[in-house]
Amino acid sequence: MKLVVLLSVGRHPVSGKPALPRTEAQAIRIAAELGASIGLHVGPDAFPAEAALGHGLDRAVHLACAGGPDPIGPLVARIATEAPDVVLAGRRGQGGEETGLAPYAVAARLGVPIVPDAVAIRPAGDGLVEVDQALPKGALRRLVVRTPLVVTVHPNAPAPLPYAFGKARRGSIERVDAAAADLAAVAPAPEERPYRKRPKMMRAAGGSAADRLKAVTGEATAGGAKILDGPTPEDAAKEVLAFLRRVGVLAPAGAGATGPTA
Amino acid sequence: MTYAFAALAFLMAGLATAQALRRAALWRLGAAAPVDWVSGLAKLPKRYLVDVHHVVARDAYASRMHAIVAGGLLAATVLTAFAILPPLAGSHLYWGVVALAFAITLAGSLLVGARRYPKTPKRLSKGRFQRLPILLLAYAAGGTVAALSIALAGPGNAVLPIALLVAAAGGLGLAYEVKGGPMRHAVAGALHLIAHPRQQRFEQDKPDAALVPLDLDAPKLGAELPADFTWNRLLGFDACIQCGRCETACPAFAAGQPLNPKRLIQDLVASLAPDGPAYAGSPYPNARDVAGEAGPLFKVIGPDAKIHPDTLWSCTTCRACVEECPMMIEHVDAIVSLRRHQTLELGAPPQKSFETLANLREADEPGGRPLSARGDFAAGIELPVISKRGAADVLLWLGDGAYDLRYGRTLRALLKLFHEAGVDFATLGEEERDTGDLARRLGDEATYQALARANIETLRKYRFNRIVTSDPHALHALRNEYRAFGDDFEVVHHTAFLLELIDGGKLAPGKLDAGTVTYHDPCYLGRYNGETEAPRKLLDRIGLSRVEMARHGRRSMCCGGGGGAPVADVPGDARIPDIRMAQAAETGASVVAVACPTCTAMLEGVTGRSAEVRDVAELVLMAVEASRADEPRRAAA
Ligand code: SF4
Ligand code: SF4
Repeated sequence: MKLVVLLSVGRHPVSGKPALPRTEAQAIRIAAELGASIGLHVGPDAFPAEAALGHGLDRAVHLACAGGPDPIGPLVARIATEAPDVVLAGRRGQGGEETGLAPYAVAARLGVPIVPDAVAIRPAGDGLVEVDQALPKGALRRLVVRTPLVVTVHPNAPAPLPYAFGKARRGSIERVDAAAADLAAVAPAPEERPYRKRPKMMRAAGGSAADRLKAVTGEATAGGAKILDGPTPEDAAKEVLAFLRRVGVLAPAGAGATGPTA
Repeated sequence: MTYAFAALAFLMAGLATAQALRRAALWRLGAAAPVDWVSGLAKLPKRYLVDVHHVVARDAYASRMHAIVAGGLLAATVLTAFAILPPLAGSHLYWGVVALAFAITLAGSLLVGARRYPKTPKRLSKGRFQRLPILLLAYAAGGTVAALSIALAGPGNAVLPIALLVAAAGGLGLAYEVKGGPMRHAVAGALHLIAHPRQQRFEQDKPDAALVPLDLDAPKLGAELPADFTWNRLLGFDACIQCGRCETACPAFAAGQPLNPKRLIQDLVASLAPDGPAYAGSPYPNARDVAGEAGPLFKVIGPDAKIHPDTLWSCTTCRACVEECPMMIEHVDAIVSLRRHQTLELGAPPQKSFETLANLREADEPGGRPLSARGDFAAGIELPVISKRGAADVLLWLGDGAYDLRYGRTLRALLKLFHEAGVDFATLGEEERDTGDLARRLGDEATYQALARANIETLRKYRFNRIVTSDPHALHALRNEYRAFGDDFEVVHHTAFLLELIDGGKLAPGKLDAGTVTYHDPCYLGRYNGETEAPRKLLDRIGLSRVEMARHGRRSMCCGGGGGAPVADVPGDARIPDIRMAQAAETGASVVAVACPTCTAMLEGVTGRSAEVRDVAELVLMAVEASRADEPRRAAA
């Protein structure tokens, strides 16, 4: 099987120093165990290619370009010539320029399926692979998918192999300038906004003690949740009242005029 | 017939030389190493009589035994060789002297035999070694009778041929043993003293323990095959006499972890020469199964090789084995060399250290904690940072103990003492990275060197007179191991510094009556740096009554915390710190004084302790505070 691992520059969560995102290092372990694999990085910095060798790849390709342009063009062009069975990528960014969107963009441009959150991949013969996909609460789903495809790796996959200086030294990095024709500005242009906490879902209380526990620990299934984004005060108040009536704090509408009504 | 006797001496010398040359062919498989033969040879007598004797003499019986048997053997054989000179061959007096030399050898042989029969002590190897007293006895008894018979009855007597035959059997047997048997230690040991890889250890009073930097551009990193060791290291392994002193001293062995330094050295010997006699000493405790071919060009480490990785990673790098070894073998160098290959080339450090090594590489800190949080322990006590001032008299190196809650108490005590004494000091603040000691001991020389260079660059930015640290591992790195990277800072351990403050009148501790105290020497301070006195003097100064554990000073036992052993966490039967605390309890001391963050953590972690664990700095602070509390009372009186 032939594999390509997409590499990016993340940051160490504490020190902020450049680091290969952990899920990519995990992807490398999966890839190296499956067959001939190369790492692929587009950007100004050869660091991820070097790190990937240290974590267990024999070969990495660094498509050099200035920081700024969209890396998808060169990535897709190179993947098309390599024609791998599986393209592996991390699941999300880890604090650097990488956004975690690249695998989706690559899959879309290549017109191949994408399977997110894999913890294991096995060849299933005849152009098929079996992918174990991590679901919430530790559940696994086994998918059998036709290659080629893009797979992102979940943090629950086997821990990455340690970085070995000697391996990094032994492996080879092919450095080529990314073709100007492949480079385009990121569209739509990225915009930076301060982080805002997402609105919390309201969950139905009531029921058994176990249900209420689930409600506070956020373990309840998502049924009954409703999100209002920027409602008018009237709408919001109606929603709250409807919720309170539903869970039995207030009497149902029309069951007597004793309670405070709108 | 007298010529036959002389011929025996030459025959023995010839056979021994031939056997040694066969062995030397194996050493030559090792990597090249520069050796100054002339100076080494000139220094051989001193090294043997002073340095080796210093170690051997710790076991009085062995020392006496060896002096008599080795001296006698050499004297008797050389004297006999002179019988080729006709005037001597005819002299009764000469044969009387020869007989005396053989008689001395005989006495020595009996001592050798008495040590092994009827019961051989555990630490000694059996196998070929059990034959040694018999060969010695045959040679010495045969020689004594032969020489005596010539002296008394002339060369034509009837006893002589039989006695000579017995002597020849013993003597040639001994000479034959030079290649694979116990007698190899004599030849290899002498050559090892000449060509020792650490010449410095014979030249200075303090230990020579700094690891030699690895050339990261070398074609192969660390040792994979026996042939990857330099030839004089292979020679050193061959010098091992299997006395088991290292085994007795090894904390990992005591704790039932799968390590026995004697066996390790013998496994290296057997890797080089798989056809040698089978090992017949104590095994690795709870030995892991290994199965694999051995040979100079076969890998040494692996479940499918000679030595299991768990053996390699059990070592705390405490150097107790090196300290005890009469043959001056450098076990820790060998272990680190093998570890380097595992980590750098194979990416196979211990499973549990993956995260630690990644943190050291990516966050300059083994726990992945923010460098800016290193000073948090101070909790309100003023902790000046040098970047704000540019200069200080003393640079305080905090080390990674600063992140530990328990050790924070020690560092706070130290800060209070500094303030009390008016020391002009500062820390590097968030510019202090880990020294890389842990990475280096786990074989990750690349990360270590990166950290060393970064730290030296930071230190060079500021002006200070010396570095004070309470962490012996940091001390050893900064003082000894960073030298190879261009640092030449003066580094002082906090115990020595506190002693200086008291001697200079800057601190005036009172007397404590906190019962008796026993001091646990940190390996990296005592054995690695030869500093054992300052902490003891401090304890005496503050009026504590001090008792010593059986193992103390340079011969102290490790707490189990060094060399990445706690990270590797190889299971055994017991925990090393438990064993050490039990030794402390034997003294009846109510306080165990420590001087190292790792020792503190390891010994504090012992459950059901009967004694308190206190850093020397904490005790000194108590004494200073006690004297302050006394003052008003004294003033009122
Ligand atoms: S290595 Fe040294 S201390 Fe250990 S058994 Fe051999 S000679 Fe004795
Ligand atoms: S350094 Fe210490 S732990 Fe390692 S082998 Fe020697 S005595 Fe044992």
